Amino acid sequence: MSANTPAEAAPGPSSNEPNPRGSETRGSTPAIDGAKLIRERRLNNAKKNWALFRADVPALIGAVVLLFFIVIAVAAPIIAPESMLDVTKQLDAPRYAPPSLDHPLGTDGLGRELWVRILWGARVSILVGVAATVMSMVIGTIMGLAAGHFTGLFGGVIMRIVDFFIVLPSLLLAIVLSSVLERGVLTIVIAIGLTSWASTARIVRSQTLSVESRLYIERARILGAGHRHILFRHLLPAVMPLVLANTTLTVGGAIIAESTLSFLGLGDTSKESWGTILKNSMDVSAATSGYWWYVLTPGVAILLVVLAFTMVGRAFEAIINPALRSR
Amino acid sequence: MTDLSFENVSITYRSSTDRGDVIAVSDVSLDLPAGATLGIAGESGSGKSTLIMSALRLLPKSARLDGRVLLGGKDIKELSFGEIRAVRWAQASIVFQGALHSLNPVREVGKQIIEALEHHAKGTWTTPEKRRERMFGLLDEVDLERAKASAYPHELSGGQKQRIMIAMALACEPDIIIADEPTTALDVIVQKQILSGLADLVADRGISLLMISHDLAVLSAVCANLAIMRHGELVEYGPSDEVCLQPQVEYTKQLAGAFPQIGDPESRLHPRTLKPAEVHRAEPFAMSEEVVLEAKNLSVSFDTRRGRERAVRGVDLKLRRAEILAVVGQSGSGKTTLARSLLGLQEVEPGSQLAFAGSPLPRKAKALRTFRRKVQMILQDPSGSLNPKRSVYEAVVEGLRVQGIRDRQYERVIGALEAAELTPAADYLESIPQELSGGQRQRVVIAGALALEPQLLIADEPVASLDASVRGEILSLFLALKKNLGMSALIITHDLGLAWNIADTVAVMKKGEIVEYGEVDTVLSNPQHEYTQELLAAVPRLGSQSLVRNE
Amino acid sequence: MSTPTHDDPQPGESRPEDPRPGDPAAPDASPENSTAASAPGSVGTADMDEPPAGGSFARYLLGKIGGAATSMVLVILLGFFAFRMLPGDPVLKIAKERPMSPAQIAELYRQYGLDKPVIVQFWDYLVGIVTGDLGESYVYRKSVSSLIGDYLGPTLLLTATAAVIAIALGLWLGQLSAWRRNSLFDKLASSTSLVFWSVPTFWLGLILLMIFGGTLQWLPTGGMITPGLDPWSPAGIIDVIKHLILPVISLVAVVYAQFLMVMRASLLEEMNEDYLTTARAKGLNEDEVRRRHAVPNALLPTVTVVFLHIGGLIAGAVTVEAVFSWPGLGKLTFEAIRGPDLPLLQGTFVVFSAIIILMNLAADIVYRFLDPRVRRA
Repeated sequence: MSANTPAEAAPGPSSNEPNPRGSETRGSTPAIDGAKLIRERRLNNAKKNWALFRADVPALIGAVVLLFFIVIAVAAPIIAPESMLDVTKQLDAPRYAPPSLDHPLGTDGLGRELWVRILWGARVSILVGVAATVMSMVIGTIMGLAAGHFTGLFGGVIMRIVDFFIVLPSLLLAIVLSSVLERGVLTIVIAIGLTSWASTARIVRSQTLSVESRLYIERARILGAGHRHILFRHLLPAVMPLVLANTTLTVGGAIIAESTLSFLGLGDTSKESWGTILKNSMDVSAATSGYWWYVLTPGVAILLVVLAFTMVGRAFEAIINPALRSR
Repeated sequence: MTDLSFENVSITYRSSTDRGDVIAVSDVSLDLPAGATLGIAGESGSGKSTLIMSALRLLPKSARLDGRVLLGGKDIKELSFGEIRAVRWAQASIVFQGALHSLNPVREVGKQIIEALEHHAKGTWTTPEKRRERMFGLLDEVDLERAKASAYPHELSGGQKQRIMIAMALACEPDIIIADEPTTALDVIVQKQILSGLADLVADRGISLLMISHDLAVLSAVCANLAIMRHGELVEYGPSDEVCLQPQVEYTKQLAGAFPQIGDPESRLHPRTLKPAEVHRAEPFAMSEEVVLEAKNLSVSFDTRRGRERAVRGVDLKLRRAEILAVVGQSGSGKTTLARSLLGLQEVEPGSQLAFAGSPLPRKAKALRTFRRKVQMILQDPSGSLNPKRSVYEAVVEGLRVQGIRDRQYERVIGALEAAELTPAADYLESIPQELSGGQRQRVVIAGALALEPQLLIADEPVASLDASVRGEILSLFLALKKNLGMSALIITHDLGLAWNIADTVAVMKKGEIVEYGEVDTVLSNPQHEYTQELLAAVPRLGSQSLVRNE
Repeated sequence: MSTPTHDDPQPGESRPEDPRPGDPAAPDASPENSTAASAPGSVGTADMDEPPAGGSFARYLLGKIGGAATSMVLVILLGFFAFRMLPGDPVLKIAKERPMSPAQIAELYRQYGLDKPVIVQFWDYLVGIVTGDLGESYVYRKSVSSLIGDYLGPTLLLTATAAVIAIALGLWLGQLSAWRRNSLFDKLASSTSLVFWSVPTFWLGLILLMIFGGTLQWLPTGGMITPGLDPWSPAGIIDVIKHLILPVISLVAVVYAQFLMVMRASLLEEMNEDYLTTARAKGLNEDEVRRRHAVPNALLPTVTVVFLHIGGLIAGAVTVEAVFSWPGLGKLTFEAIRGPDLPLLQGTFVVFSAIIILMNLAADIVYRFLDPRVRRA
């Protein structure tokens, strides 16, 4: 009947005082069962969710597409050495060659292979998309929670700020930010992350408001809980699944935003990204000059990746919100 | 006139999940001859709503109906869609629960009544003017001002919405009215008005009435015959006096027992239940003279759109050790606000005095937190009071963590669960709320409060959201807590029967004021204030068809 | 009256886009702040439990105007501080992009007023905004206000046309899609909109330009009108419409998809509501149930979201106008970025934002007339 079994610790940080009472034996055995029960329940949940995800064919295809793009982005230096992008080494290569066996996706005006540019562009586009999304999720969750939870002057001010960012389109703000900051990948990430959190904040806020009106929050207050307990023990866990599902959906938006900013000439011209390729194609009027592959390929890459993120995100959303499943 | 009969009706919901098909109703036969009144009682999930929806073929597509539903001798399954549309409302109409979303929130209620007339002109209300006249006539009949025709549902009270629903159901002079929980969520006095109004209108016109409710007393007040349903099956059927007063089946007895007859000595301080809570003290605590909580001249005001309103006005209360006080009032009487202010959750007006064990209530956040160890509150709905993702252990230990009580947490949790009679406590520790029944959830909530070892428990409608058969269990638990631990309790309720069942003293509240206050036996057997008398008279009695005969 | 320990659900705080579950249907959830139920004798007529009558329109309007004004102030502040306070000297940045002599740089500093103290600059800026003077464009060598004045009309024409088409198309297809959930129509409509949702607006523009302007040569590739034509003559109007088609399609395609999804989702939300059962029980057929009951209710949450997306549509004009050389504010913004022409960029930012804030104010006012429940909020 040792007091220091791991199971003893499971129900919570009990005091250092060894308890002389007989309840000990009764206490430790079910605690083991309890831990097992929790593990089983989590395992079952995971299995159930996986089954739901697997049943969703578009999401599965999306996941495969994503995996493909992530692999080629990571392995880009191995598949196609960076020298293949060096203009000075492409002097013999044909310019504006349409797709053929030799040039699978065609070449650009400087003789570079488009498939190499797409490969390297995937690195920046996906990285910016993910990094900007993480940033916007963190800001959005904090602002949404604060706007939903706090009342009075503080809550009112937060609410106004959120409303302001909801009303103003993020693209406009991102243009302003990235045109006054140094050009670079980090600037693009900051410009998108700082301006696109409002829709997350909106979702988090309405979820917070709906959880806030539940009786268990009132019960926590009756038990004597303060803001910190309610925010971190009840509200944050309640909004987290929603935020995570939303993350996947937001990455797509961020990738489109990156391409738009690069297209407008606000990107880092020294780094390949899908938006930069499109900007180059616009600069040489590829659309009206018959270089269709120059316009088509980067756009299709964006479409595929964004669609894949959307499909996976929708599947996550349906898993956490069974009411959506019938849709 | 039209008869309605169900012949061996079974209804199954096809489901694509692995749970397979769900049988909602199985092999039910019931008859409603022209001009008769029939009530179907059952708890949630008994299949009563599914059954009545089948009468007008309003079930969702996933439902399969076996057997026959005959309306005026015709099998409704064989009617074409056009025919069934003509039958709906013109031959049989439904009074839905007005309190819920049964009215379109963005259309004027008058237009919603007229809409029914437009579809079933019957040669009488052929022009817009005639239809408008008819609509106003209907409002007169259900005692609503004509001006209410241009109101939107959110601008009406629950009772008024219910009247609109009744007016709408009467619009096309149907032969049968089906009423679906017509008084749920209404106060007793409004409930009485609605029920007697409905009974009169039906009787005057010789309309047959089919009413469903979870409340046996409500049904027996209006209907001549009663059917009891459970798990989709018909368990008892007969004249309503017999079913209520001499129930044959154990389940019916349990349902009937849940409605205490005020004045019946057998149920005084003795809620009827199959699972009474254990009293293990040789000398159970009884109400003492030691005052635990005292309120003097307590007033609370709110800022509302109509300006500042006083929700609680000059209330004086005294709660002694091991006393159970029931505060009885209708919704809007300020009783919940009163409870919140006793806990310090609600700011009170200057001049109000609140004292706990002789010393005034603290006002600072930190001192209030310590104070909450001594006074705890149970909220109305146990399902909502528990975080759906947290286990029972986490729910009960939450108070200890918040209060910074670190020693013997595990033992305290087990002790509290056992005191709340959720035994064996250890088996429930890792369950999550959705794995528990309503009664078990309420026990967890109570255990969460008990873990802090409070001296006073405030409970807001602790049994209102529970099925009737669980009611007695929880009430007997409150009695046992008082007897075993010497705990005081203030119970807020709309239900005078609850006071009769467990309380020592009762305070009747109306519009924020206590109009009558005293020992339960004295107040309920000999009420002095007009309002108490009115409340008592409005409580439906089992098996008397009281509302039909009185009017 | 609010203590730190207690947060009441605030009566004034109910923005339409945050429908709280069960809010109107839960009379028990609200604190009991209304007076007691009906008096015994007077049945029904004087029901004290009746919810209070609505607040005045003026108060609602003032509240919304206040909100819009706050946003506008924030925009004006941002317009100033973003361009002066952020790291990175705007003049040096311009100097980096194009070769300039030190004298030219000093001239630029003077011209932007950057040699003055910040507070004076800010005051000049505020006075400028109020008097409609937004400074001088570096590239065009013209006053920013007059440039914006010249380019505003075409942008309004383009975005308004696109907005009307996108809203009508999105809402109509969305409600059909929801009502026939899981039908072939629904699947087609939903999946096309997902695809449109996943492409950058400007890329769609480029593709359209390539097919219809380049290869097929059916439609003009840029500008608003063929030079030399009078825009008010019949031939001129037709010419403008021809120029309008491709940019409008690019803007509509991306935005209508969003509206479709929102409308579809909110109608699906209404599908299981009890009042639809009431309507069916009254003998209405499915079409009437949809048109008269389900759609008006589903429209309410949709309208708020739709108006929020109008901002996105206007912002989308920046790239589309750049692709089609449409002589509007978007193209002006594009040129300002290329410059870089900071006074012009600042001016277009403030004007774009003002348009969007005004649109939202209009939306809030329209919403009040659509939803009777907000009339008392």
